[in-house]
Amino acid sequence: MSQALETSYAPPLPGKPSIARNRSLNGAKLWRKLKPYLYLLPALLLLGIWMYRPLLNTFYLAFHKWGMVPGTTPEFVGFDNFARLMENKSFIGSIGNTLFYTAGLLPFSILIPLLLASVTHQMEGRMKNVYRALFFVPMILAPVSVSAIWRWLFHPSNGLVNDVLLRLGAISQPIAYFSDPGFAKWLILFITGWKMVGFSTIMFSAALTGINREYYEAAAIDGAGSLKQFYRLTVPLLSPMILFMLTMSILFSSQWTFAYIDILTTGGPYGTSTNVYYEMYKYAFSNLNAGFSAAAALLFFIVFGVISLTLNQLSRRYSFYDN
Amino acid sequence: MKKRFSGLAIAQHAALAVMCLIALFPIYWMLNSSFKNESEIFTSSLIPLKPIFSNYTYAFEQMPIVRMMFNSFGVATLLTASQLATGLLAAYALVRWRFRGQGFIFALLSLTWLIPFQAVMIPNYVLVNQLGFNESLIGIVLPFAVSTFAILSLYQSFNSFPRVLIEAACIDGQSDFGILTRLILPNIKSTVASLGIILFINGWNEYLWPMLITKKMENAPLQIGLRMFVNSDTNMWGSMMAATAVSCLPILLIYLVLRRQIVDSFVRFGIK
Repeated sequence: MSQALETSYAPPLPGKPSIARNRSLNGAKLWRKLKPYLYLLPALLLLGIWMYRPLLNTFYLAFHKWGMVPGTTPEFVGFDNFARLMENKSFIGSIGNTLFYTAGLLPFSILIPLLLASVTHQMEGRMKNVYRALFFVPMILAPVSVSAIWRWLFHPSNGLVNDVLLRLGAISQPIAYFSDPGFAKWLILFITGWKMVGFSTIMFSAALTGINREYYEAAAIDGAGSLKQFYRLTVPLLSPMILFMLTMSILFSSQWTFAYIDILTTGGPYGTSTNVYYEMYKYAFSNLNAGFSAAAALLFFIVFGVISLTLNQLSRRYSFYDN
Repeated sequence: MKKRFSGLAIAQHAALAVMCLIALFPIYWMLNSSFKNESEIFTSSLIPLKPIFSNYTYAFEQMPIVRMMFNSFGVATLLTASQLATGLLAAYALVRWRFRGQGFIFALLSLTWLIPFQAVMIPNYVLVNQLGFNESLIGIVLPFAVSTFAILSLYQSFNSFPRVLIEAACIDGQSDFGILTRLILPNIKSTVASLGIILFINGWNEYLWPMLITKKMENAPLQIGLRMFVNSDTNMWGSMMAATAVSCLPILLIYLVLRRQIVDSFVRFGIK
């Protein structure tokens, strides 16, 4: 319909010579054809320079050896980078940790928020929003600030956590949490989760407000208890949002943990808290091995791409919509 | 439903209160520590018994905090402005016209959010260095000057804008740009504002890229300066917490004032 209107833009003026009218019409036509691209140009130009060009360049670098020294040319090495990645212990270990963080974050991004959202949902009045607003505060803080605070709380000799645990007699020696292989990655997981809970909670809360209350009234009349209502009604009705948060959580958990790994443990001790993205960063900017980093980046770009397309298909098939 | 103070309700409130405590206590502890003096900082007292302000003055002496805060505001504002501007133009084009290659462009945009930053960081780092933009605000802003997250979010809100109004304005002889600025924008002001809030917070909290290209505190945003301070292995935890508190303050203040809008914008647009 809009196309029909657009042709009426420049109505042919009566009395003008037909050739001139044709030419001006052609000009206007060309202009109309170009216009959408002109509006898209700034965005596409910037994306081209800062997204697609570097992505292609990374693809190129993945098959080369390069020390990132200006003026030197990358040396072609074929699939060598990929072969060495597969033998690299730190890389294989980081894949394990990535899976640990991805799986470990699910309770924080799905289970706890789902419970918090449905408990607050039943409340009346102001308290519901007060709770949700408070849960949300960690979400808006910067990762560096958050890391600084937790680092202080878990400080080996003077931190509050050690102090309290010592006084309770739960531990006899202060623990250096971030340099202890048994604690480091659990703490990073906890801090990432602590920041995420509030966000997921308000997402689920928003989805819950859209559910018709009559379902619950009907279920209550049928004698369903609140637990049964939760998993027979709430969970299926929220399935689109649950799948959305699942996708987000799986795709981005490695990005979310990055800053905490960098500030709190730099991947250690002995690589027990690192993840694949942090390894890529280290290969490039500590080891100055651009090809290695690019190969890892390319590999995981593909892996996460496949995962997200699969999840997208799943959510189309299995989401339950309330029509 | 009647208000009942049953056992269940009390248990629920207690559980929620505990969750709130977990969410907020670290922030309280930061403020608490930032006002403690040197001997008190290593105790677990819940309030500073002799509150002092010197931690803040020390932090301001050690770091160019005002300068870094200015950098952070500059980065966040520039990012928000350019992401909104490019996003508005692009989303408008996608909604307003049917044209060749539209499907391809749309697919390209939708797939961009799958590209992790680590997959583009090396070439971008090399380019910014070649251009001589390292240690500068423009270098921090340029690679993120356009956000597909913003384009796609705006595309959704444009799509729900009644087409009849656009066509009516068209017949009235409004220019295409005029339709965007005088008809659509005033009507989706609140949507653009909430998107702007998210983009601003994202820009303020941006981490890896500014860290790569700024090495000096004077050129760095607050977050990166704070990272250098945290990593400097000083045992000045009082002033460390003071600096951290200063870095959180602007965002916390914005949240205090615009709580509803911020929560709503995250609900509406999610995170990138």
